[in-house]
Amino acid sequence: MDTILKRLPSFIDQIKEIQEVIISNIVLIGQIPAPTYHEQARTEIFLERLSDAQSDYSATSDYNIPIGIIKGTSNESRAPIFVVAHLDTFFNADIDHNYIVRKASISGPGILDNSLGVGVLASLPIIFKHLNLQFESDIVLAGVPQSIGKGNLQGIRQLLDTWEGPIRGAVIVEGDELGRLNYYSEGIIRGEITCNVLPANGGGNRYKPNAIIILNKVIDEILAMELPLRPRARVIIGKINGGFKHGVIAYNARLGFEIQSDSEEMVKRMHSEIEDIVNGIGHENHVRLELNIISNLTPATLRYRHPLVKSTVSIMKALGLSPASDSGESELSIFLARKIPAVTLGVTEGKNVHLENASMKIKPMFTGIAQIIGVIMAIDSGVCDEP
Amino acid sequence: MNHNWLKTNTFHHSEFKDIKKLVEAKNRKQLKISLCLPTLNEEKTIAKEIIIMKSELMTRFPLIDEIVVVDSGSTDHTLDIAKSYGADVYEAKNILPHLENFTGKGENLWKALHVTEGDIIIYLDADIKNIHHRFAYALLGPLLMFDHIKYTKAFYDRPIATDLKKIRSTGGGRVTELIIRPLFSLFFPELTQIIQPLSGEYAGFRSLLENISFPIGYGVETSMILDIYEKWGLDVIAQVDLDRRVHRNQDTKALGRMAFVILKTFINRIESLKKINLNTELFHEMIQYKLTKGEYEADIYKIIGHERPPIISIPEYCKKHTQH
Repeated sequence: MDTILKRLPSFIDQIKEIQEVIISNIVLIGQIPAPTYHEQARTEIFLERLSDAQSDYSATSDYNIPIGIIKGTSNESRAPIFVVAHLDTFFNADIDHNYIVRKASISGPGILDNSLGVGVLASLPIIFKHLNLQFESDIVLAGVPQSIGKGNLQGIRQLLDTWEGPIRGAVIVEGDELGRLNYYSEGIIRGEITCNVLPANGGGNRYKPNAIIILNKVIDEILAMELPLRPRARVIIGKINGGFKHGVIAYNARLGFEIQSDSEEMVKRMHSEIEDIVNGIGHENHVRLELNIISNLTPATLRYRHPLVKSTVSIMKALGLSPASDSGESELSIFLARKIPAVTLGVTEGKNVHLENASMKIKPMFTGIAQIIGVIMAIDSGVCDEP
Repeated sequence: MNHNWLKTNTFHHSEFKDIKKLVEAKNRKQLKISLCLPTLNEEKTIAKEIIIMKSELMTRFPLIDEIVVVDSGSTDHTLDIAKSYGADVYEAKNILPHLENFTGKGENLWKALHVTEGDIIIYLDADIKNIHHRFAYALLGPLLMFDHIKYTKAFYDRPIATDLKKIRSTGGGRVTELIIRPLFSLFFPELTQIIQPLSGEYAGFRSLLENISFPIGYGVETSMILDIYEKWGLDVIAQVDLDRRVHRNQDTKALGRMAFVILKTFINRIESLKKINLNTELFHEMIQYKLTKGEYEADIYKIIGHERPPIISIPEYCKKHTQH
């Protein structure tokens, strides 16, 4: 591990030497729109970039997930190391995906979440060659579709469901933000409550229920739920919309929420309570009130003392980074739920992550990439191999 | 009229996707290739063009030997950004400085011939939002793979990025359809087979480009086609489908001024070719009107329409380029 830590700082300048290759990948991939469930065009260009980078193997899996493989040097059968980044973004295809590159920054929709991550992934074969790095394990580079929102991490689930054989460890690459270190994920249920006022509702227009006010009642009751301090648990009210115009009673409304806890049982209990609230208010007010689950995840964690976490912290510190740990509900959860050691890392600093004018800094990106390579080297040296 | 040209001399960029083959052809023919980007306030797009070309066609495949930016006097960060990403950057006024100073795209292209070293020069507009290295390698393809082709011209779909940050799928090419195509139909029907004669992306052998004159402004694309056609015929020209190019939308008044310059260039050319007899001097002012406080006010643009002679006639150029 000490050898790796000593080499890492010198990687930063060496990676910068091929900055135009990395930036080209970020721009060429990022300018292709990829809303969830419509990632095909981005899948193709990601695959094309992997192929151009002369990775040893590049193809799509049965579930149309693009992967590239850099063959390992070991004669013994070492399990592969996965490096993944999600392909989909929050922006629709009709948004102008024009990226602007300046001296110190790149800006455009989806740049930090997650065009940067995918661009870095596509650049790794060339970066490895430039740094003259070889690994004992095969390195599997996967761009995963259907990750965010309603995608519910279907891409990574499918990839791991159909992957034959063990996986040594994994690194999940996210554009934002350099310094993040996710190694545990909370259990979540992400749901939507929709309220529709029934046309046949009695009482005439004057006393018709208002869908927004009904949802307000639901929110009040959710906020009144008693939540324990241990295990940690919370409900986030994240989205709301409804109604037509100022002077007309709202006939429909929609509420998006997420239950989060490090206890799976607590997540289920809270979901059941919210279900009761929804059924009760719907019944009392003669409206159609429905709760739908959009996605769910079971909690999973590596312990802080796990060698992968400890090594990652050392690597980040060797590069002058201060690791900031929080729960990460991304591809990480799926790896950890399958007992595959994994961490999520951010590549650079930036702002306006989920706005059209999102912007990333170029210079810190080289440190972010060095950090990712350090963790891959650490996994290859065996830090995940201990039981 | 040669109707066959459209079939024989039209290519799709995908035909030249194997860049290794292009590099082999370039090396076999011992050619040097220069990429020139003429600029005026292009800070939002210039870095992207330089980075992608450098990455794909210099670092990964040694197809292009140099990237040169020739600027008309940008007041934004264009020059600074271009230098920071490793392009050779020139201000047009500092190239052949003893000559009278003009400003315009054609001037930049003409002066680029002096500062570049390539046997082939690729010219790309610097405002391409969806730049891809195919813009360069596809224009080089016919020049490297077919000995008789000496000049290539791009064509593409032209979606326009509107102010609302949405992409409109149709539009663009209005000056082509309203001005150039009718004129070509009237005087040079063969040239109507060129789908987008005004596209700002083209490449050619120095041996041709140094022997034609360059209008300093918008007329350069029209004159280039007419002069190459007249001197060497249609068969040395090819066109390449680049699929899609997203560019800035220009308002109708700006297009009007562009049309004025192109018309003037065209009329001068057909007069010198004795295809018409113009018994009057052309005026130099494009007059447009705007409504200011309820009254119409004239917006007058003086456009002289200077033209640079074939650069081969400039002694400094001959001295520099015969030495190589």
